[in-house]
Amino acid sequence: MKTTVIGAYPKIGDEPSEQELRRALHRHDRGELGDSELDAVFDDATKAAIAEIEAAGIDVTNDAQIRWDDLLAPFARAWSGVERGPLERFYDNNTYFRQPVIKDAISSDGQTLVRDYTFAKGVAKATLKAAVAGPLTFAALAQDEHYRSFEDRVLAVADAIAKEMRGLAAAGARRVDIEDPAVVASPRHIELAREAYGRLAGAAHALALVTYFFPPDAILESLASFPVAAIAIDVRSRDTTAFERLDAFRDKYVLLGVVDARNTRVETAEEIARYAERALRLVPEDHLRLAPTTSLEYLPRDVARKKLAALVEGARLVSGEKVPA
Amino acid sequence: MSEMLLPTTTVGSFGKPDYLTKARAQHGRGKLGATELEELERKATAEWIKRQEDIDLDVLVDGEMYRGDMVAYFAERLEGFTLGGLVRSYGNRYYHKPVISGKVGRPRPMTVSWFEYAQSLTDRPVKGMLTGPYTLLDWSYNEAYPTRRDAVLALAEVVRDEARDLERAGARYIQIDEPAIHARPEEIGIAIEAMGIVTAGLSAKTISHVCYGDFAAIYPQVLDLAVDQLDLAMANYGYRWLDLFDRDPFTKELAIGIVDVHAHETESIAEAAEGIRKGLRYVKPEKLWPHPDCGLKTRTVEESLEKCVAVVEATKVVRKELARVPA
Repeated sequence: MKTTVIGAYPKIGDEPSEQELRRALHRHDRGELGDSELDAVFDDATKAAIAEIEAAGIDVTNDAQIRWDDLLAPFARAWSGVERGPLERFYDNNTYFRQPVIKDAISSDGQTLVRDYTFAKGVAKATLKAAVAGPLTFAALAQDEHYRSFEDRVLAVADAIAKEMRGLAAAGARRVDIEDPAVVASPRHIELAREAYGRLAGAAHALALVTYFFPPDAILESLASFPVAAIAIDVRSRDTTAFERLDAFRDKYVLLGVVDARNTRVETAEEIARYAERALRLVPEDHLRLAPTTSLEYLPRDVARKKLAALVEGARLVSGEKVPA
Repeated sequence: MSEMLLPTTTVGSFGKPDYLTKARAQHGRGKLGATELEELERKATAEWIKRQEDIDLDVLVDGEMYRGDMVAYFAERLEGFTLGGLVRSYGNRYYHKPVISGKVGRPRPMTVSWFEYAQSLTDRPVKGMLTGPYTLLDWSYNEAYPTRRDAVLALAEVVRDEARDLERAGARYIQIDEPAIHARPEEIGIAIEAMGIVTAGLSAKTISHVCYGDFAAIYPQVLDLAVDQLDLAMANYGYRWLDLFDRDPFTKELAIGIVDVHAHETESIAEAAEGIRKGLRYVKPEKLWPHPDCGLKTRTVEESLEKCVAVVEATKVVRKELARVPA
């Protein structure tokens, strides 16, 4: 049973030796550290995070999103037509993001993540995937002073994301996670989301629509017809009927968020294996991947390490035998 | 106070002076004793009481010189909590997110002696400042209680005990902050049930501060929260929450945020005054309390003071306008 991560990994830890990035950002703020020196610290932190993910035995890693202030920040910073606005709470987390403010038509050079991806490719030993913000989430969380309708905004964001994905594909990315919690947070926009994902299809090789925080219950069967290779779902944050309906995804890979990335209680390997076995009643073993529910950055770093260790141990426990219904 | 028009106040925390920030860091590294640190916290508290009087705020706060984080401070003093590792809240800001690892309990009062000290320094009323049960749960990791509701209701009892002790110590205003109240709009009923436990039987004026989230998602249900006054960030949101009051009239006192606390630059007095005028379209002047959007702890002492001055000066401008209007 293969394992992967979702989203961002904790940027620092509790040990002073794990806090170089925090100190460097403070010094950069005070003008005591130049941009290139800060870049080097970011690179070191990226390398260390990838190494920890790999050391835990995770099969498919990402670049740990060490440079991302929040899910939307890299794009809000890079795209023309967008400025960064006030702080806002990110869904039901005591974690904040800067609201993008759309002032003019959005345009992207498609190179926003290429440097980070290329760096990560140089250091990662495990299979590497890229990640982008989902079009519905970016559009739903932005303030819009330009587009006439939510539809126009979502599709414009989708075009910019598609360009980023083509840039990533050109840099060698074969797998891209599209982190789009708004798809499950606002299920009423499912048809608009489908149209947006139509614009993303073909922009990279294997796309995963990554949902979290909310269950996909209201739209699960609709998601099955999205033009993506995989769907990630969070089965821990709230009650869900997904386990009884996973056969809807018969043509797709399912990335099952079984390790709660928003609670410090570390699951036992047996607990994780039980979630996997429930899914295996309806998903073939070679189509199931186990993952944390969302970014492990919601946890202290030492807990994130333990969660990854538990995830890998749980995956190894899974026998592959189906549990009787 | 009851007849005062547009009473001014603040949300609770102020910037800490450099000597205190350094002392807290030294204390954290074990290089400064608890008694020495507390001496400096008392000094900084006295300075902030004096500053609030000097700039003519009406209802004061102790400034929370002795608190780092509004949840961790209580978590460190309650049974059942352990302090977790560092997690990021935004940018390069991190905090120790608490863990509820057992049954919660309050071995002794947590804020009463600071309230008494601050109140002893001034004739103006000082607010008692607590964090509400829903926020204590939502901003902690719950490892101990089977459901979120179970944890919130257990926390409501300890917050209630602290609120009663504050009232016994003479607090006429007790603020029970619930900035997380809209984290899960489907749980607003739990937050309301818990606040009912906290404020039952209190005769002090009760206030709850709510900020940074989708207020529209909990309005008008939030009007059922058992407090006299809701304290809302408005400047940061371009006052858009006021539009909600067109459809469902606002029925409580409103503490209205008229300066954005996350911007280094302070709004002009004219801008802040315009915020008060917007609020007056919905709430009578004796029930409208101008103040900054949120706690000022992320600002420097000077920035905190500037923001408060803008609030007070803007209020004076609008009070004059109100005095000119014939009754």
